[in-house]
Amino acid sequence: MANAHPHGARLPLRWDIFCRVIDNYGDIGVCWRLAVQLAQRGHSVRLFADDPSALRWMAPLGCPGVVVAAGLEPAAPYDPPDVVIDAFGVGLTAAVLKALARRNGAHGRVVAWLNLEYLSAEPYAAASHGLASPVHGGAAAGVRKWFFFPGFTPDTGGLLREPELARRQAQFDRWSWLHDRGTVNTGQRVLSLFCYEPAVLPAWLLSLAAQAAQRPVDVLVTHGRATRAVQAALAQLPADWNPGARVTLRYLPALTQPDFDHLLWSADVNFVRGEDSLVRALWAGVPFIWHIYPQEDQAHLAKLAAFLEVLDEPAHPGLSAYFYWWNGAVPGPAPQLQDERWQPIFAAARSRLLAQDDLVTRLLRFVAENR
Amino acid sequence: MKTAQEIRAGNVVMHGKDPMIVLRAEYSRGGRNAATVRLKLRGLLSNTGTEVVFRADDKVEQVMLDHKDCTYSYFADPMYVFMDADYNQYEVESGNMGDALNYLEDGMPVEVVFYDGKAISVEVPTSVEREVIWTEPAVKGDTSGKVLKPAKLATGFEVPVPIFVAQGDKIEIDTRTGEYRRRV
Repeated sequence: MANAHPHGARLPLRWDIFCRVIDNYGDIGVCWRLAVQLAQRGHSVRLFADDPSALRWMAPLGCPGVVVAAGLEPAAPYDPPDVVIDAFGVGLTAAVLKALARRNGAHGRVVAWLNLEYLSAEPYAAASHGLASPVHGGAAAGVRKWFFFPGFTPDTGGLLREPELARRQAQFDRWSWLHDRGTVNTGQRVLSLFCYEPAVLPAWLLSLAAQAAQRPVDVLVTHGRATRAVQAALAQLPADWNPGARVTLRYLPALTQPDFDHLLWSADVNFVRGEDSLVRALWAGVPFIWHIYPQEDQAHLAKLAAFLEVLDEPAHPGLSAYFYWWNGAVPGPAPQLQDERWQPIFAAARSRLLAQDDLVTRLLRFVAENR
Repeated sequence: MKTAQEIRAGNVVMHGKDPMIVLRAEYSRGGRNAATVRLKLRGLLSNTGTEVVFRADDKVEQVMLDHKDCTYSYFADPMYVFMDADYNQYEVESGNMGDALNYLEDGMPVEVVFYDGKAISVEVPTSVEREVIWTEPAVKGDTSGKVLKPAKLATGFEVPVPIFVAQGDKIEIDTRTGEYRRRV
């Protein structure tokens, strides 16, 4: 018989997570972290992804307790586990839905079916978190599912955070990691760059060159879109944009999830994009600028504004100005990077968030209460 | 069946075996242009309340109801009174008026919605034209419409509008979303 677990859910539970890779690997990155953190707490997890190939570089060692399957259609006959997670609107196949309906119609056995939603600091996340969603049509008509909204407040689903994070961070040697990647400590400022294609990138590079006159700058550019964006930006700049070569651009290979943390922990300022790296940047406790996923009708700007309230930003208008400028919401020259002034903001935000339960703890509690 | 994003306050949907009136439908943009809809419901028969959430394109079973063209007459607390072309009057509880209260004005044409012969809610036109009774001063020359400011209607409802809109302007509003469409 399964034992009671301190987080409220009986062990072991079986979980299936369904994930579709749209772009940028954030979806599968979050789902992988969730799967690993569930497995680390003794649960069995299957991660179904339409394209799991990114895990080859993101998580080459895999994780005990996590089975990765390519494709969103499990082998027939599908035997639903204890918990099914539909991540970010992937949509479950008809065969899976029928199996859920069959299982939830059977006496004494219920599958908890959860929609894992996108992260937002907007009020709707807390208002909608944990609400039921009756299924009115299709193969699973009559089955109930729930919406689980990650968030920054105790009345949301919380943020992913592994238990060993603080220990890893305390043991990390920044300059040793940077040295292994060709960066020697000469007193320079270190920036990391993980972005989409900010229109201000050429102007940003020029502003770094100007600031580097006083203190050289190393920019660690992540693999993929950020590298391509920097190279496109450089093509727009004059050949002498970087007098004295005091800005050094270092192009990184694709990083594992642990190494992405190391990158964030190594920098003086991080430029991050999307949701997963936003959360990792918060845990890093280092000043960062967030490139939010752009949406139609500029809907992302309301989300950006809501997030700045999480940082308790209004007292520090220079920070929000930089966020809006980086996201193309306000024109003008590059604002000043004021990482030393901003550091206490990020340290305080990290402390506030660390005081809350992490997402998996809240998820286990939710499943125990609603299954 | 309708999609969740088509459901409006005043609609009646099935929740299990219970018909429930939608008191409020809140549409929220999530990540990557996806959206969710949160519905505040009250049972038509049970009078119990609940809240549910859907993805915007989830199917929701709507109860088809009878509709009648009416105009708004007056408020007799707690009922809003509407009249049809034959001068018959129908009362709708204020708690069931939903978003219609944001746009209500004397003589306004609406559809009164009936369930089992009883007036339960109203549906307003998909767009209305209303005067801005208060907003911050307009900024001359900026017609980009990129930044928004609040504008208040006579009902007290606030609509985000471009900064060039001035007090006294008439604006067209999409009543399904509460969004500004254009200056009239």
